[in-house]
Amino acid sequence: MEFVHPSAFYLIGGLLIPLLKGRVRQGYMLLIALLAFFAVVNMPHGTFGVYEFLDWKLTFGNVDKLSKVFAYIFAIMGVIGVIYSIHVKNDGEQLAAFYYVGGSLGVTLAGDFLSLFLFWEMMAFSSVFLVWFRKSKSSVHAGFRYLLWHVAGGLILLAGIILQYSLSGDLTVQYSPFHGWWPSDPQSLASFLILIGLIVNAAVPPFGAWLPDAYPAATVTGAVFMSAFTTKTAVYALIRICAGSEILIVLGVVMAIYGVVYAVLENDARRLLAYHIISQVGYMVAGVGLGTQMAINGVVAHAFCHILYKSLLFMGTGSVLYMTGTAKLTELGGLYKTMPRTMIYTVIGGLSISAFPLFSGFVSKSMTVTAFGEAHLTWAFMALMLASAGTFLHTGLKVPYFIWFGKDQGIKAKEPPWNMELAMIIGSLFCIGLGVFYKPLYALLPYSVHFEPYTAYHIWETLQILLFTQLGFFLLLKKLWCENMISLDTDWFPRKSAKAFMWFTNKPLANLEYNVIGEIYEFIIQKPIMRVAVYLKKIDTVVVDGTINGIGKFAMACSRKMQKIQSGQIQHYAMLMIAGVIAVIIIVMVLP
Amino acid sequence: MKLLEIVEVLRTKKAKQIAYGVLILLIIVDFFIPRHEVHFFGEEIPGFWSLFGFIACVLIIVVSKWIGHLGLMQHENYYDEGDV
Repeated sequence: MEFVHPSAFYLIGGLLIPLLKGRVRQGYMLLIALLAFFAVVNMPHGTFGVYEFLDWKLTFGNVDKLSKVFAYIFAIMGVIGVIYSIHVKNDGEQLAAFYYVGGSLGVTLAGDFLSLFLFWEMMAFSSVFLVWFRKSKSSVHAGFRYLLWHVAGGLILLAGIILQYSLSGDLTVQYSPFHGWWPSDPQSLASFLILIGLIVNAAVPPFGAWLPDAYPAATVTGAVFMSAFTTKTAVYALIRICAGSEILIVLGVVMAIYGVVYAVLENDARRLLAYHIISQVGYMVAGVGLGTQMAINGVVAHAFCHILYKSLLFMGTGSVLYMTGTAKLTELGGLYKTMPRTMIYTVIGGLSISAFPLFSGFVSKSMTVTAFGEAHLTWAFMALMLASAGTFLHTGLKVPYFIWFGKDQGIKAKEPPWNMELAMIIGSLFCIGLGVFYKPLYALLPYSVHFEPYTAYHIWETLQILLFTQLGFFLLLKKLWCENMISLDTDWFPRKSAKAFMWFTNKPLANLEYNVIGEIYEFIIQKPIMRVAVYLKKIDTVVVDGTINGIGKFAMACSRKMQKIQSGQIQHYAMLMIAGVIAVIIIVMVLP
Repeated sequence: MKLLEIVEVLRTKKAKQIAYGVLILLIIVDFFIPRHEVHFFGEEIPGFWSLFGFIACVLIIVVSKWIGHLGLMQHENYYDEGDV
């Protein structure tokens, strides 16, 4: 088997998209995604694609069990995403999605920090176009904010990489966990900076506000891609570099709850789902922090399932947005009559994320949570259980209820186009398939699995939590009714301070400059200088000029006198010279 | 269409009563479920996770809404004000 880098299909093959039209273009795009998938399937384990660049060794193909399972899911998601968005005519948007997928595959297979960073930035700079191509004013703004967060995170990561390189002289992507709460020496500072750079992309609070800001602002199809790649690529990098960093346990658990709390308040269905990405990635980040073999297996399995069910949820709500023009729960309701099939796909996604038995989340989330139980971290175990109830409450109940039932708004809508529906069918089949036939997934995990999800106790535990959550939902339905409002997140600080800065420069600072400093300048500096200048001018005319004129006049007078001596006849000059010589001789002889 | 009929059946009173029945059954059966690995005391109590699920749900809704109304929730044009 030969190694062909799967990103190459997306990055090089994508360039031809603008040249093609119609069915040929659609078939070509699907072909690229499928070829990339088969390239992943055929990847042998080992190190490939090593290039010398200046003094560095770049490794583009580092294939082991961990990178291969992530490459698998990214390639599968690439196929689903391409099918879902195959009708999009905007070449730029398609190219952005292709480079985004190619970038994430590149990060996954990167064996050195430099190429990892290259693909990392490629992801940020291509995905921002998926937001911008929505072409509304708010999307353009959200896109700029998204880019700023990622550039900042990327620079922190780069700082960590450079420090790491200067300490070890080695650019290989290597395991360097961060222990403790604060860096104490240069090596731990390097690990700390890399960790911070990575968790910005994993949307860990307080650095995660870009996610619920940008994803709902993205295009219908763009959000499906975005929900899958950025955070999970970061989770992959965290596993490889930072597994066992205790700080991640706390951050992850906080994240899992934080996403749930915001989801209660949220009215935009896609933003609600975005907060649930944060919540679900919280399980993964916490699992990475725990770092046991079972936890890492759980995280990888959960990332795998999460990409499939979360993209399915984004496809379902995206279809609603595409067909009705809104994703706001207050404006939706009663769609079960007109879009029932979309409802079924979305509910399958909702049951999967809620870890219902026979759905994909059940076989993956439980592994991560059980790892916490086995490590006797009861507080984290209970907190993650609490977040599970919240997940079902929102994604399994609130979103479907308010879109397809709730108050019938009488919206005339149809099921989405065939390709969008096909992508949702594939996603649904994966969600159920992984829930039932989980052994093939377990075989892909980095460590051997000693975990059986379908035990009587575990099934019963889950059913009790979920069904009693449902009881709570219907009893408190009135209190849960959506409000047409937004919720402030940690990006309040940069956004408000940027606004305050602009206001400060435009209003007080400009006023100060124009009215106060300008005046002060005029009175204290400009006017005295003028006065001094006038005085200096007098000195100049009277003293300086007078002196120069005086010297000039004196010179003129002298030259007139001299003129008389200068006869122009050689004998006079000779006589003068002889007289002079005689005078000199007399002086020399007379003076002793 | 078949799908619509199923949905309509699920919205009747009778379906609701069956649902309550299922919840009670869940707790009763939990008395007979074997426990192999117990991670903490709660897992040994029958019906523990039922209570946990219900309380978790109520807590999440009530506490989140309370936090939201403390000032976290703002009207939609909050960030657009004072645009310069």
